[in-house]
Amino acid sequence: MIFYKKDTDHIVTLTLNMAGRDTNIINHEVSRAFLPVIEHLRAEKQKGNLRGVIITSAKKSFCTGGDLEYLSKTDDPEAIFELAEQLKATFRALENPGVPVVAAINGTALGAGFELALACHYRIAIDQNTTWFGFPEAQLGLIPGGGGITRLTWLLGIKKAYPILSGGHRYNPQEALQLELIDELAGSPREMLEKAKAWIMSTREARRPWDQKGAAIPGGTAQDPEVAIFLRNEAARLFATGAHRLPAQRSLLSILYEGSKVDFDTACRLESRHFTSLLRSKETKNMIKAFWLDQNFIKNGGNRPKGYGKFRPRKVGIIGAGRMGSGIAYVCLDFGMEVVLKDVSKPIAERGRDYVSKRLEKMQASGRKKPAECEAMLQRIHTTESSADFEECDLVIEAVFENRMVKQKVMREAEEYIDDYSLFGTNTISIPITRLAEGSIRPSNYIGLHFFPPAEEVPLVEIVRGAETSEESVARAFDFVRAIRKTPIVVKDDWGFFAARVQNTFILEGITMLAEGYPPALIENLGVQAGMPRGALSLADNLGLNMVLRYENQAAEHYGSRYIQHPAVDVLKVMLEELQRPGQQKRAGFYSYQGEKATGLWDGLDGAFSNTKKRAKNEELMERFLFAQVLEAVWCMQEKVIHSVPAANLGSIFGWGFPAFKGGVIQYVNDYGVEAFVKRCATFKKKFGQRFSVPSKLKSIVSQ
Amino acid sequence: MPEAYIYDALRTPRGKGKSSGSLYEVKPVELLSATLQALQRRQPIQPNQLDDTIIGCVTPIDDQGYNIAQAALLHNGWETSGGSLQINRYCASGLEAVNLAAMKIRSGWGHLVLAGGVESMSRIPMGSDGGALLFDPDILIKAHYLPQGIAADLIATLEGFSRELLDEYAYQSQQRARHAVEAGYFSKSLVPIYDRNGLLILDRDEAVRPDANMDKLSQLKPAFEALGHMGFDDMALERFPVLDAVQHGHTAGNSSGIVDGAALVLVGSEAAGSAAGLKPRARIRAAATVSVDPTLMLTGPAPATQKALQLSGMNVKDIDLWECNEAFAAVVLKFQHELKIPDSKLNVNGGAIAMGHPLGATGAMLLGTLLDELERQDKQTGCVTLCAGGGMGIATIIERV
Repeated sequence: MIFYKKDTDHIVTLTLNMAGRDTNIINHEVSRAFLPVIEHLRAEKQKGNLRGVIITSAKKSFCTGGDLEYLSKTDDPEAIFELAEQLKATFRALENPGVPVVAAINGTALGAGFELALACHYRIAIDQNTTWFGFPEAQLGLIPGGGGITRLTWLLGIKKAYPILSGGHRYNPQEALQLELIDELAGSPREMLEKAKAWIMSTREARRPWDQKGAAIPGGTAQDPEVAIFLRNEAARLFATGAHRLPAQRSLLSILYEGSKVDFDTACRLESRHFTSLLRSKETKNMIKAFWLDQNFIKNGGNRPKGYGKFRPRKVGIIGAGRMGSGIAYVCLDFGMEVVLKDVSKPIAERGRDYVSKRLEKMQASGRKKPAECEAMLQRIHTTESSADFEECDLVIEAVFENRMVKQKVMREAEEYIDDYSLFGTNTISIPITRLAEGSIRPSNYIGLHFFPPAEEVPLVEIVRGAETSEESVARAFDFVRAIRKTPIVVKDDWGFFAARVQNTFILEGITMLAEGYPPALIENLGVQAGMPRGALSLADNLGLNMVLRYENQAAEHYGSRYIQHPAVDVLKVMLEELQRPGQQKRAGFYSYQGEKATGLWDGLDGAFSNTKKRAKNEELMERFLFAQVLEAVWCMQEKVIHSVPAANLGSIFGWGFPAFKGGVIQYVNDYGVEAFVKRCATFKKKFGQRFSVPSKLKSIVSQ
Repeated sequence: MPEAYIYDALRTPRGKGKSSGSLYEVKPVELLSATLQALQRRQPIQPNQLDDTIIGCVTPIDDQGYNIAQAALLHNGWETSGGSLQINRYCASGLEAVNLAAMKIRSGWGHLVLAGGVESMSRIPMGSDGGALLFDPDILIKAHYLPQGIAADLIATLEGFSRELLDEYAYQSQQRARHAVEAGYFSKSLVPIYDRNGLLILDRDEAVRPDANMDKLSQLKPAFEALGHMGFDDMALERFPVLDAVQHGHTAGNSSGIVDGAALVLVGSEAAGSAAGLKPRARIRAAATVSVDPTLMLTGPAPATQKALQLSGMNVKDIDLWECNEAFAAVVLKFQHELKIPDSKLNVNGGAIAMGHPLGATGAMLLGTLLDELERQDKQTGCVTLCAGGGMGIATIIERV
């Protein structure tokens, strides 16, 4: 798997090419395979037959990361620790053959793959837009396992290394160069190898900084008061984002702090110990389940109707140049599609282009996009006031405001110009697709494509199947969503679809607590402490109390005589009818507003509702917030509103910010323990009502 | 006046105090935490029953700074009723912590007090906290303040202890320690150190050299000769003009080792102990400190012991077993000669020469070792004594109950 080639200058090129895989990864096998090679290199050096080493890959990418397949199944602390230590020993040996070592990075190098590059003395990468670098571990609740934290600290200093490690971001070659993750760029594979050889020929130093006497971490260790204060502030900052609930984020700061005060190898060992405990932590297991296993299920076409050819949309029509339409336009452009953006007049449609170009300016300023790329994207967008321009579109998405008549009108206009093979998607949050499809000439091609604001950022799209929507249209919608690198979840045309329906139970539970007499601040804070992105009352204001009530009324309609009124309904009615506080849009809701900005909880809440319970069992309130959502999601599974556990989990995390460290809304039950969950529901049912009764199929659903 | 009882004593193993030592990867607050957790596993006490926690630490800077006792308590989520205190009486700190705890109990103003010490000499090197007495020329010149090794050499020279005698003592320490380790005498109070995953890091005193012999010891170079020749010998002679020269008899082999470790002793009144369901193991009969010549610095154990004996109304013969900290071989030998203590009663399981001297923790460690040995031999009374920097000595007398 490691091919050895020596040239006349005594430079050895090691080419990594793992059999039976599309990409190289770092696993036990590779880790061990390197050792005899390094042994041989050292012997060559002894004989004076070695000038330098180049490490590169025969695949399209350099090395894409660690063996998550294996890691996700391992729980034995000794085995994990040994694996991490073994990998570190390999990298340690690799950087010490006695001659300079260069990573010739021909393609993407992520995670442990990038650690391999860091274990080389110098990094030269090909400047191409298919290549990414970085440490995505943080997004899985993990940390690098091969000494990457310590190496990066020694190369860049604590302050520069920290955001790269904690953010889990991927960087393109230009950004990586700017961040000093790599040392040099090359235009082609040939140039890369030439530069690698040139660097070796001009370099005598064969020791890494940490192996040189007197060398120090740039910017100082945590003993340096300035660095110590930096780390202390970052620890505080974790609370501002809720990231302090993620063990990996805490471990990372702890390793930077402690690791900088001990020698290199000990710092690496601290990494291994943290790595081991993280991999065994519930939070990390949940995140690996969601962002790896569940994500792969969707990527591999889970819930996509089978038997239809792949849909490759090239040109997308978008109706409505508001924030949603413009956001969708941006994403489509970003993934190489042409966009026709239509609104009632050309100047209004132009606002969409402005939106895109402003965003591109920002991306360019931060180095995330190159000028040429931005230029090309802007050239692919056409604004118009005429539906006739949709003629060549493979797909038209309507994102006008939430009104059935308007939505149907623009649909009919567009349908005149598109053909039988094109798809029509509507971005609605609450109008049934089946009703909207009435009056369509091609109801089988009509589908809900529910983006979440901001569309360019939220990585989820609900695909809503109307009564007449064909299976092929679902498959095509799925392919479109994958083509813009978002996660598609296929949902039933029921009230609130999946995301809004489940999220609403969180809001209702918070409002219920208000009726029970809990202080509003407590309700908001405990919602956040439970892991939700914002408090239930704040969310209600944002959505509008009318909307919250409308979803619940739709539930009442749906269940008919079986419906038991939610205790929050009375509060909503008081807020809407007596107090005239419908939410953020009217600048009055559970919060007070100055302009669009909330200035604080409305001080009239204390008078309007009892606010008598100053003391609460915090744990119980936090569990109610999450249980309410989990139960609703299980009902959704049982009622086939959503069809798979991965879709429900990812939908909950991406759609409305259900805590990722719980693994999503269904995984929560497994995390809590199924029996314990059922038992706790029984207690809640007795105390708080029927809404906590357990759906009959819960056990079989969560064990899928 | 309430009596002060010892309810438990425990310690970590001692790891070599350098980057190759096993405990180098363990931060000091974790060493202390490990002993707190072990105490909670062993005894039915709740943190809120503790009136105070007093922890000795000689280099209280960086990760040992800002009151490491409080850091360790909060690291474990312990909410005690009396908070905590970090103290520094140099090498006497760990025992001073116990003595202060006993005084709190005997005054009636405290009921259950945790005492102990911690020192990660690998992480926070000795002397890295600076200090006027150690580094300010104005003061060290006035006080004729020597490096401790030279003070030990000075004592050996004044007492006529030959290099061979010092090495013989060191060899005995190694032998006794090896025997004690092999026989499991320390296991009762030893708290193994595990990592965050429950993987073992260290469960034995790491510095012991079972292969030590007189030949090897005699070949070691004098450790403080170069330093002495630089001028410290002359500083010593100015105070002791009777000497011709300072003989540099101490080596790395007959001086205490640099190690990492922590120790705890639970002290309380009879009433508080029985209310908490604790079983008393010994009573603290007397405690004392003395100040001695700062240049000789390390001659405190004998006068401190005499002071404690006097306080308890006892004499040397009343003490069954002795622990005198093996800071340097000459310190113990001088103490032994002065008080005429038989070999069979003194440092019977070896000491810091073999196992190392984690500065702030040693006093508390020795107390635990002494108590375990009294119980094993079924003897009644014991005395722990240490020399300390600045020219001090400390002693504590205990009696089993």
